[in-house]
Amino acid sequence: MSTDARDAVEDGFGHVSRTVGTVFRYLLLVSTLVGIVTLGVLLVYVANDAIRPLTADPGWHLTFVLAFALPSLLVGGYLYRRDKSALFTGLNALGVPAVSLLFASAAAMLFVDVVPPLIWFAYVVAVAIPLVVLLATTRYSHRIPFLARVATLAAVTVASLGVVPGAIQSLPFVPQAWLVVAATLGVPVAGVAGTYADRRWGRRAAVSVAVAALVATVAAPFAGPTIGLDPLPATVLMALAGVPTAVYVGTVVVNQPERRVGLLLPLVVVAGALVGGAVVDALGFAGPQAWIDWQFLTSDHSNTPAEAGIYPAIVGTILLMVVVALASFPVGVGAAVYLEEYAPDNTFTRVVDVNISNLAGVPSVVYGLLGLGVFVRYGGMTPGTVVVGGMTLALLILPIIIISAREAIRSVPDSMRQASYGMGATRWQTVKNVVLPRSFPGILTGTILALGRAIGETAPLLMIGAPQIFDLPTALDARVGAMPLQLYVWATTFASPEFYTTALAAGVVTLLVAMLAMNSIAIVLRNKYQREQ
Amino acid sequence: MTGNSGAGRELLSRRNFLVASGAVGVAGLAGCTENPSDGGDQGTTTGDSASLSGTINIAGSSTVFPLATQMKSAFQREYPDVKVNVQSTGTGGGFQNNFCPGNTDFNNASRPITDAERELCSKNGVEPVELKVATDALTVVVNNEAGWVDCITVDELAQIWSPENPPQRWSDVNADWPDETFNLFGPSQASGTFDYFTEVIVGEEGKSRTDYKATENDSVIIQGVSKNEYAMGYLGFAYYTENSDSVKALKVDAGDGCIAPSLETAKSGEYTPLSRPLFTYAAKSSLAEEHVAEFARFWIENSTSQELVAQNVGYVPNTEDEKAEMMDRLEAAIEEAQG
Repeated sequence: MSTDARDAVEDGFGHVSRTVGTVFRYLLLVSTLVGIVTLGVLLVYVANDAIRPLTADPGWHLTFVLAFALPSLLVGGYLYRRDKSALFTGLNALGVPAVSLLFASAAAMLFVDVVPPLIWFAYVVAVAIPLVVLLATTRYSHRIPFLARVATLAAVTVASLGVVPGAIQSLPFVPQAWLVVAATLGVPVAGVAGTYADRRWGRRAAVSVAVAALVATVAAPFAGPTIGLDPLPATVLMALAGVPTAVYVGTVVVNQPERRVGLLLPLVVVAGALVGGAVVDALGFAGPQAWIDWQFLTSDHSNTPAEAGIYPAIVGTILLMVVVALASFPVGVGAAVYLEEYAPDNTFTRVVDVNISNLAGVPSVVYGLLGLGVFVRYGGMTPGTVVVGGMTLALLILPIIIISAREAIRSVPDSMRQASYGMGATRWQTVKNVVLPRSFPGILTGTILALGRAIGETAPLLMIGAPQIFDLPTALDARVGAMPLQLYVWATTFASPEFYTTALAAGVVTLLVAMLAMNSIAIVLRNKYQREQ
Repeated sequence: MTGNSGAGRELLSRRNFLVASGAVGVAGLAGCTENPSDGGDQGTTTGDSASLSGTINIAGSSTVFPLATQMKSAFQREYPDVKVNVQSTGTGGGFQNNFCPGNTDFNNASRPITDAERELCSKNGVEPVELKVATDALTVVVNNEAGWVDCITVDELAQIWSPENPPQRWSDVNADWPDETFNLFGPSQASGTFDYFTEVIVGEEGKSRTDYKATENDSVIIQGVSKNEYAMGYLGFAYYTENSDSVKALKVDAGDGCIAPSLETAKSGEYTPLSRPLFTYAAKSSLAEEHVAEFARFWIENSTSQELVAQNVGYVPNTEDEKAEMMDRLEAAIEEAQG
């Protein structure tokens, strides 16, 4: 820096001491680590309370070290030394099923407990009809004037949503639940898998992949009961977790022969877990008496910590996140596209610009007040429902979505827009065909991170009157709380040493797992995006 | 991927399409079943007790909250399909924001409804039905050997527990008492008992001296007081009755003489200021729905339960007479609402 040079001229080299630099360096290190370490200590403490590893039989630990941990570490170490990218592939092959299984379970919960498959089917058909009309009219767009197309589409949408759900629900014979799910989830998933395969391996492979995906989904309800799964969840898990995992593994096997060896890792991990489980069962070693167990994940709240569960809160969180995503994504991306691609640079847009940045920093309790005022007091909606909570949280993360979406749109090189204009494309065509596809992964990443913030919000839910103790929500107008609210209630209203070390700890771990699963998707998307650029 | 064999591929995909649609059609026919929801009404309340379903929303006092959640759990053991949401908003907040605007079916209250609240409710067409569900009574306990004190005035209690210049020795409060150090026990700040005691004794909720042994576990208070001659503590009446041999309950003098804590004095209102009635207010219009009415009946029916009210929550249960009175009032309201 320039001052250094001047000092040097005035004082010669001055007094040179290494100590200052060393101290400074380690102070920086301390400031880097202080947050991570303190949070880490808390998490270890909480995880210990939730899982209680020390309550397990020593034989249990020994079995799992020998059958599971040691082989996994050995294979991991071998891969690390041989080929780091293979290790990376192996870790991905572990992560893809783990994360997709979490999300598939969330979807399965909704189908089993919240949305009756028949109603879901009715609405899917009601939405599909206008979509087909949209595709058809777009195909012949050169023959039909724009306004006529819009009018047709609007009429079909209104008619379809008004008539179809009621008509389907009153049919004397309806498809069985698993078939509905297999059709409505299996067909789109097969379509996506087919498109993916088409891009990589050509049309013939695409057809077989899509057919295989569909067959697997339809077969799942029959195969599920043999391993103790009901037909309906088995179908959902196969469509949303089985197929993606198979496609990922297939890609590695076909396209990356040099990384195939990485698949050893998930094999060893899964086999180790199964073998360990079998041995422990056979020898009668008791596992840890974890608080976070199946009972905890599937029960309602109870005043006794040992019987308390978090299931209604999990479903509440899922429902809230669905509403938040549906409400905030279109609005946020729309605002970002307008501000980046259309808005003129004038005082008005600059004011909007500054305000959006500030809104992102407004405390969440203020948004809670906003939700209470707008939706409950002014809008006359029932306080504490899924819709009110979801829309309040959507308002909360809207600025974050706008900012991150703008960031993503801005990163599309201007040369690409110019090339598009140069080929005679209009601005709308450029946005649709160049800007949005190119920036989509970035937009998605920002949205998922924003949802990750919404999932942990407590204050707005308290403000809009969410109930502390609630039962499984089964409709959008059901009163609902979410996981963080449940934790807050356990920590305050039911404050007792038992709750602190049992249900509360297990709830924290559950919430963090949900949040990390969302963030991991965002991170993977971001990495992929960066590699492609 | 760019197709120059377009025609052939079209053909292929058309044949595939036919095969696929045929397969889907067969599967569709095979997977059809009779519509379970066809004709029947789902999810509505019917008179049949086993099939009650619906949602009940409760808000209001944080003091009654644990009692309400207790009743919810017990009720759902019999009627698992009825959903009960309980929110702790404080008595006033519940009336103002939830009950009177017509958003909840019950409002818990640790005091009777005020005239202003009644007015607000009637403006919105909500008619509250007052149901007394329990009595909250706190008991001040000392060691069995503490022969110098049987009765304590509210002023003396305030002096002992106030955060301003808290006395260290018994003789600091009353010259007749021994010159020994206090050994104080009480509930921790998270407790509703603490809130209530500080409110009526010290004069402000949450305001208390802090140099006492605070615990969430009532048995710690009993043990501590029973083992130390110069100890004093306070706790819910229900817990004292279970341990009345090991500690001595003090009479309290609020200006009208010494009153011993007991079910009778707590209910008659003589044992002031440490006892108060707890209510829930039902919205009469909600009682028209069978699942709400049934929950109200269940609550009143169990308001005399030692286990639910006294042991699990620590309040004084209703007497049989009170239960009968509340039940009459409730049945009349239900009849009116459903008739």
